[in-house]
Amino acid sequence: MRAYVALVWTIARKDLLLEFRTYERLTAMGAFVVLIGVLFNFSIDTAVVQPQAIAAALIWMTIIFGGMLGMGRTFSLEEQDGALTGILQSPLPLDALYLGKVLANFVLMSVMVVLVFIVFLAFFKLRFSGSVVTLVGVLAFGVLGFVALTTFFSAMATRSSMGESLLPVLVFPLLVPVLRFGATATDRLFAGRPVAEVSGDLRMLAAFAIIFTVACAWLFRFVIEE
Amino acid sequence: MSQKQTRWAIGVLGTSGVLTVIVLHWMVFFWVPTEATMGIVQRIFYIHVPAWWIAFLGFGIVGLCSAVFLWLGDERLDRAAVAAAEAGMVFTTIGLLTGPLWGRVAWGTWWEWEPRLTLALILWFIYLGYFMVRRTAVNPEQGKRFAAVVGIIGVLDIPLIHVSVTWLRSLHPEAVILSAENPMNLDGSMGATIGVGLLAFSLVFASLFLARYTVAGYERELDLRDATLAGTRAVEG
Repeated sequence: MRAYVALVWTIARKDLLLEFRTYERLTAMGAFVVLIGVLFNFSIDTAVVQPQAIAAALIWMTIIFGGMLGMGRTFSLEEQDGALTGILQSPLPLDALYLGKVLANFVLMSVMVVLVFIVFLAFFKLRFSGSVVTLVGVLAFGVLGFVALTTFFSAMATRSSMGESLLPVLVFPLLVPVLRFGATATDRLFAGRPVAEVSGDLRMLAAFAIIFTVACAWLFRFVIEE
Repeated sequence: MSQKQTRWAIGVLGTSGVLTVIVLHWMVFFWVPTEATMGIVQRIFYIHVPAWWIAFLGFGIVGLCSAVFLWLGDERLDRAAVAAAEAGMVFTTIGLLTGPLWGRVAWGTWWEWEPRLTLALILWFIYLGYFMVRRTAVNPEQGKRFAAVVGIIGVLDIPLIHVSVTWLRSLHPEAVILSAENPMNLDGSMGATIGVGLLAFSLVFASLFLARYTVAGYERELDLRDATLAGTRAVEG
């Protein structure tokens, strides 16, 4: 068990190390988040629409679009340099490779989500009056479910002639539950509703994250093997 | 089955399917009595409901064949999955097109973000993804595995999507025929019409399935022949 965790961490560490040397994906995701905040500012007429009323929708759509931008490139480095062949020839279990990638992507996504909140709270003067701990739980499980699916399908998209443009077609229909429960819970928390009202959403998000992390880890061998 | 027998089977199933569809339309328009509360528009029911049953049958076959294909790696299971997916897509599209026609009259709106409609639309897109990974995979053998995986993930996601959409308010009537409390509470002639509808669509589905399955077999033979030919040329050259 311990050895397995060490393997997962090795993969995650490699990806994070490469990322924090170049900041390639984080720069793209970060710039996207700030710019989308600017664009939303011009597309919402505050005389008619209150940003506070649509805060959760804006935040979750930004997380999903910004996330797709970064997650789509999960395997591009390996695919370009033929490094994947090396990894596949090593005795590393394939599910550990997947979980390592998920872990690294989860860290990157968490950085992006923090930025999303800073941008939206600042740009749209949103007021948050709910439980912060619950919000963190909702975001953590929601993002884990998102990362589990996008990491998995990005391996598929990298090996298709359509490339990253295939990813939304595959992932968006499957993400309906994440968006539904995540945005509803966030909406309620923004409105300062009691935690009991979102516990059902939180449980569903946790179920989604666990089911797809486990299922994708198991199915990953069929996607990655030549 | 020999090639000749298969062609015969496809022809017989297809022809009887089309004839039954014609009989079904005659029954729907001229024979079955008009439903008391919903009026004339309820007649879409005899096409809409069997189409969905067959669409779900298709989905079931895709999920099952995909899982067993990944397990055993038998080429024929992949052919069955793709045949069921393509035939299922036809009936999903029929269901999605007849639903709004009915909804426009019964609910006064073409589209409503209502659980079953939403789920149906999402299923249609999962099917679309299934075909896209297959067609665009750089390595066709990989494409088959990718498609099988999409089929399995799709089936796993259906219950979650179902829960997420049923937390919306539902306009769609509950299942009237297969309901546990009150099974088969239809008038005799209505029951007969829906039975004919189910038979008609099953026959069409079976012929489409068999035809597509056979074509997939030919495609594989051609691929193998090309590969052998290329191999021979490489040796000669």
